[in-house]
Amino acid sequence: MIAITIENLVKKFGDTVALSGITLRIEPGELFFLLGPSGCGKTTLLRNIAGFYIPDEGRILFGDEDVTNLPPYKRNTGMMFQSYALWPHMTVAENVAFGLEERRVRSADIRQRVTAALESVQMGQYTERKIAQLSGGQQQRVALARALVIRPRCVLLDEPLSNLDARLRLEMRSEIRRVCKENGLTAIYVTHDQKEALSISDRMAVLEGGRIAQIGTPEQVYRRPITRVVADFIGETNFLKGKMLSFDGAKAVIETVGGPFEGFLGDPDWKPSAGDEVILSIRPESWSLRGEPAAVNAVKGRIGESIYLGEVAQYILRTAHNDLKIFELNPHLSARCQGQEFFAVASAADVVVLKP
Amino acid sequence: MSRQFSIIVFLLTALFFALFFLWPIAETLCGAFVGSDGKFTISYITEVFRNPLYLEGLWNSLQMGVWSTLLAAFIAIPLAWVSDRFLFPGKSLLGSLVLVPMIMPPFVGAIGIKQILGQQGALNALLKDIGCLNPAHPIDWLGEGRIWGVIVLNALHLYPILYLNVLAALANVDPAMEEAAENLGCRGLRKFRRITLPLIIPGIFAGGTIVFIWSFTELGVPLMFDFTRVTSVQIFYGIKDIGGNPFPFALVVVLLCSTVLLYVGSKLLFGRDSYSMMAKATSQGGPRKAGLALGLLCSGLFGLVTFLAILPHIGVILVAFSTDWYQTILPSGLTLSHFEAALGHNLTLPSIQNSLKYAGLATILDMVLGVAIAFVVVRTRLPGRQILDAMAMLPLAVPGLVLAFGYLAMTQEGKPFAFLNPTIDPLIILVIAYSVRRLPYVVRSAAAGFQQTSVTLEEAAQNLGCPPLRTLRRITIPLIAANLIAGGLLAFSFAMLEVSDSLILAQKQQDFPITKAIYELYQLLGEGRYLASALGVWAMAFLAVAIIGTSLILGKKLGAIFRA
Repeated sequence: MIAITIENLVKKFGDTVALSGITLRIEPGELFFLLGPSGCGKTTLLRNIAGFYIPDEGRILFGDEDVTNLPPYKRNTGMMFQSYALWPHMTVAENVAFGLEERRVRSADIRQRVTAALESVQMGQYTERKIAQLSGGQQQRVALARALVIRPRCVLLDEPLSNLDARLRLEMRSEIRRVCKENGLTAIYVTHDQKEALSISDRMAVLEGGRIAQIGTPEQVYRRPITRVVADFIGETNFLKGKMLSFDGAKAVIETVGGPFEGFLGDPDWKPSAGDEVILSIRPESWSLRGEPAAVNAVKGRIGESIYLGEVAQYILRTAHNDLKIFELNPHLSARCQGQEFFAVASAADVVVLKP
Repeated sequence: MSRQFSIIVFLLTALFFALFFLWPIAETLCGAFVGSDGKFTISYITEVFRNPLYLEGLWNSLQMGVWSTLLAAFIAIPLAWVSDRFLFPGKSLLGSLVLVPMIMPPFVGAIGIKQILGQQGALNALLKDIGCLNPAHPIDWLGEGRIWGVIVLNALHLYPILYLNVLAALANVDPAMEEAAENLGCRGLRKFRRITLPLIIPGIFAGGTIVFIWSFTELGVPLMFDFTRVTSVQIFYGIKDIGGNPFPFALVVVLLCSTVLLYVGSKLLFGRDSYSMMAKATSQGGPRKAGLALGLLCSGLFGLVTFLAILPHIGVILVAFSTDWYQTILPSGLTLSHFEAALGHNLTLPSIQNSLKYAGLATILDMVLGVAIAFVVVRTRLPGRQILDAMAMLPLAVPGLVLAFGYLAMTQEGKPFAFLNPTIDPLIILVIAYSVRRLPYVVRSAAAGFQQTSVTLEEAAQNLGCPPLRTLRRITIPLIAANLIAGGLLAFSFAMLEVSDSLILAQKQQDFPITKAIYELYQLLGEGRYLASALGVWAMAFLAVAIIGTSLILGKKLGAIFRA
């Protein structure tokens, strides 16, 4: 188990700056996610860590060892590629054994470890298959076994589930977490799927334009996004424009066209003064629909379109100024017919105040 | 892969090219432009254009090149069009058979075609038998000076190169382009002329350039026809006094300049990669099933062309088995004695051994160089890699004759490479000559392999601790093995039948490869042509095995190797 430290990493491709000064510390044994829209630099960062790119500036440390200029084959990382990169001219067992052969492990040990690794991903009975004879999910398991069997210092996962169907994705993501945790591995996982990140990560970094927008636990990032982009990228949200009025302790009081709102600042380093423009981010599930008005954190509107999904219903609430997305758990649809007037109310803890 | 490694590979391959491609050419240029007093002169070149004998040779060479190319195009374009449009009975078999002539040694075929088209040959005998010909005045089918024999043989040998290029170009044409023309009322031949032909012109020129360069400088076929008033043969005879005579140098330079100008010119005019098709193909297109009559017609066309193209070689085989064949349609009797005699001749067995040795070594060298160059070109971002790529393709533009002559010139006594002089031992210089000439095919097929193999497969190996070179051996090479085997087989079979290098560079009897042995046997009076044919049949058998293996492995991708 090692910590991975990234110091002020810069990577340019010609004139394009792919990474502009990334600083990050991943704790030993942590399952860390790199998340962001396509082109944000998350894969570039992972490939720098794997050694396929050499950064232009900055350092990468595995534990105390500086690996910045170490070639990939000396880094002892186990990488899972988006395409799996399983070699079609070898069998399942040969693929998994490859890394051990490169490490000159005794052949009796190789056989034993390959079997164990394939057992641990439930692929024990497919050892002699060719890669082309496996399904997508099976290939994914073999790729995982191949990355883990070498007992790497850390595991690098590059969108490992993006080629699977939705059902398998659910199954495999908890499988990946189980395997990483059982082996006590430091793992870095790149994805653009926020559900994957929220569900299994210990911590995550949201990247935006080659910079880190926010680092935190899933809960921190979801509940207290520090920028508008993060709030928008992770989960769904409603944005309301407003003007800063005053502070009530840690609580900020904001004036909006629909009435006064109370909430908490997303970015702890930012202190708006009275009269500053701000943006409020309120998640669809934070609202509750009531028949009677409230003093703060409330908007009046009529129900527009609605989608009934069983455990949850999604409504559009048409207010005088904008439309709000509202989710209601355990919905009582009979009471919510279209056109009916309601007050949507959110608690102050669910209101995040952001820089516009 | 690591940058230093790539740079080393880059430098080594570039060095090889500098020494064994640029140097011999430079040596030839020196011979042509430096007078006996050591000063620069163009008098040798101007003398070439004043001497009526050399001028006639050049004129004949030009005719040989132009007419061979036109005839090849006349055969290849309709064939390619038919193959692109229609499904007909036996298409896949006929489609491969039609390529066979390419690897049949044309200069061996010359023996056969003389037997068939000569004044006392099979065709005249046939015409006599059916009463269309007065026996007293046989027709001379091969023409004055036999240039038509050379042209026909060249065209029948080289049309597959054009066919493959045109076929690929046609496959690239979006069917919607032609549908749009039809929609606007243009159809049939007019549509072909106004739409299809302009779109495939780059493909026609890519193949046509190679065919022209090849036939323009062909040495073996005119030699076998005793057609001596052609530049290539004049150079060949001039080699005997290479030490003192500057005119072979000047002739070689004139040939080289014309082919390079042509190659560069056609690259500039048509090389901007074929027209990029704006839209993705919308309709299925593809060949449609021809009706029974049309289908049989198509099959018949392919069968006829193949038959005509291998007719000379059938002639060779018949000669090899015949007791006598003079003024009759078929040989008057069959015998195996020529094979026995040929094997018994002291030229034969050593020449087969030599050819296997030279061609085998050349193929290995080609594979190493080809993989290295393809790797640098496809897998690295080194500046200058395109130059390396272009250099690796240049042997297509530089005639074998020119290079062979250059090798001879650079190994003359007193030159830095005198230790490679072929009169001492031609092994090294022949192996290098063979491999340089065939390198483009190997580079092409290896590059195609690298392009088809995802880089992540290599990255995955490095990630698991496998250093770059071992990754190449354990992952990449096995994955592109099919391409390499195909390129290698092709290089091998061409090397086995390489003519100009062999005739020029192998100078002692015990060093002769098969082709030179055939040439020498053919010179023998009396049973010479029978012995030469018998050895030729052996050579063709070798080749048949190689080419069938290649096409089995490569299938349809075979065409990609022959593009300029």
